[in-house]
Amino acid sequence: MAFSWAEQIEELHERRTAALELGGPERIARRRQQGRGTIRERVAMLTSRFQEVGILARYPEIDSAGGHQESLPSSYVAGLGEVDGRAVAVGGEDFTVGAGAPQMYLDRAKGGMGGFVEDLAHEYRIPLMLFCEGIGGDVGGIDLAGHSYLVSSHSWGRSIELLSEVPVIVGILGAAAGGTAGRAVLSHFSVASKGSVLFAGGPPLVRRALGRDITKEELGDAEMHTRESGAIDNIAEDEADAVRQMRTFLSYLPQNVWEMPPRIPCDDPVDRRDDELLEVVPENRRRPYKMRRILELVADRDSVFEVGPGWGRALITCLARVDGIPVGMIANNPMHLAGALDGPAAEKQVRFIDMCSTFHLPLVYFVDVPGFMVGPDAERGNVVRKGMRAIQALHESRVPLISVHVRKAYGMAGQATASIDKLGMRVAWPSAEWGDMPIEGGVEAAFRREIDAAEDPEAFRLEAEQRLLDASNPWKTAEAFGIEDIIDPRETRQVVASFLNPAFASMASRLGPRNHWRMRP
Amino acid sequence: MATVTSPVAGSVWKIEVAVGDSVEVGDELVILESMKMEIPAEAEDSGTVAAILCEEGGQVVEGDPLVELA
Repeated sequence: MAFSWAEQIEELHERRTAALELGGPERIARRRQQGRGTIRERVAMLTSRFQEVGILARYPEIDSAGGHQESLPSSYVAGLGEVDGRAVAVGGEDFTVGAGAPQMYLDRAKGGMGGFVEDLAHEYRIPLMLFCEGIGGDVGGIDLAGHSYLVSSHSWGRSIELLSEVPVIVGILGAAAGGTAGRAVLSHFSVASKGSVLFAGGPPLVRRALGRDITKEELGDAEMHTRESGAIDNIAEDEADAVRQMRTFLSYLPQNVWEMPPRIPCDDPVDRRDDELLEVVPENRRRPYKMRRILELVADRDSVFEVGPGWGRALITCLARVDGIPVGMIANNPMHLAGALDGPAAEKQVRFIDMCSTFHLPLVYFVDVPGFMVGPDAERGNVVRKGMRAIQALHESRVPLISVHVRKAYGMAGQATASIDKLGMRVAWPSAEWGDMPIEGGVEAAFRREIDAAEDPEAFRLEAEQRLLDASNPWKTAEAFGIEDIIDPRETRQVVASFLNPAFASMASRLGPRNHWRMRP
Repeated sequence: MATVTSPVAGSVWKIEVAVGDSVEVGDELVILESMKMEIPAEAEDSGTVAAILCEEGGQVVEGDPLVELA
């Protein structure tokens, strides 16, 4: 048959149109009932432009008897997108095709570990934004290939490499199991819509392995992962909210580690003094307060975006801007465990500092920490090793750090809040206090014998406490230059901005990936 | 009916309301002690105290009911 341009162009058109039908109207309708969108709707919501790659790839559906049923569009959508004016590699499974089946049926995977879209992000040095929804592994592949394959024949290398090159931002909308779950957590930020689930193995596997009947939601819903496990950073009300959070997270980060994070014009005066800052911390030192409010008052107005608000709640981690400079803000949370650094909070600190250091975001640390968490639960949770990792992460970070001492800084946890190995720029509010351990417990431990031997042990203890409290006020430390300065809380924004400006500029000469690797204990 | 629950694990240090008291949003109903800190449990709705569900000196875990508001 002779070649006909008209026929070939018509063929191309038909093939493209067929791809847009996804797994067919029935399966799309089922998603609607679950309140879920299709992968194409998600991509459209995220991007203002999308140049798709691989739209012609097809999926040969196989039934349980090994027979070929029908040909559907491939189970992955990928391409080059534009998000808020930035070029971004975008991809995601199509759950209406083989439940987002792994793309072993293709010569080259479009996405997922080592797929085309990951090479695109790597080669062009652009952010990777993924929608993860799929079953991860699939025994159906055995039918297709005629043999089972050793999963280690496939490499996570590219996915791992990307973590030190470009922002990797993931939305979990639906069910992410096995390899898809693994792909989702190899990211700098993940957000899941309410009702989404993530697990290593789903209910059928749990039933077979453990003899236990459990629903998907009981096993690993977004609520649990954002409040307990920490496998997912943030929860979203719905898919639109998840997409909004993905874009917001990206807005603080550069295109890649060889570039500076984007500074934006700031119309919030740097010398703004909020009297409210004098009221946040109660005069009664046993009373906690709303630390998040301090961050909001110091940062540029409406610039604070909290990462991981639900888990590791003794620590607050936020992206924010000061004078238009994107920064990572860390704060102890006196409302949870009095701000004591427990295992989960320490893990959260490591993850957040690593991310900020990778993308050259200076850190501002608001300190109110009574120490590492104590007690049998904390010890069983390996608080000492995890706490030391939090110290190591700070020590190894390559970004400027400004520490603002709001109230307590006791014990080793205090060393997780500032690093003298760098500049160690620390300022304190007059409400600050510090030492090896809080005076009240410390006196008991240090003077046990003298207290017991005293005529009036209680009076002796109180006197010793008072003497040490008098000596431990921050003014005396400032006289010894043991703290770089004490400031009026209302000056915090201006002081932080003063140091952030040259600190941020200095990052321009320290760009690139983190080359050295050290073991963490 | 609204139940005010404990924001933390700790001990009940002080109960600041009695049955029949009317309370406003943000009022401190119970002060808990945890990690040497006084942590208030506040009313999230205004109403009248219908029942006290804890006692001073008692131990609670996060989410335990403290006060019933009507």
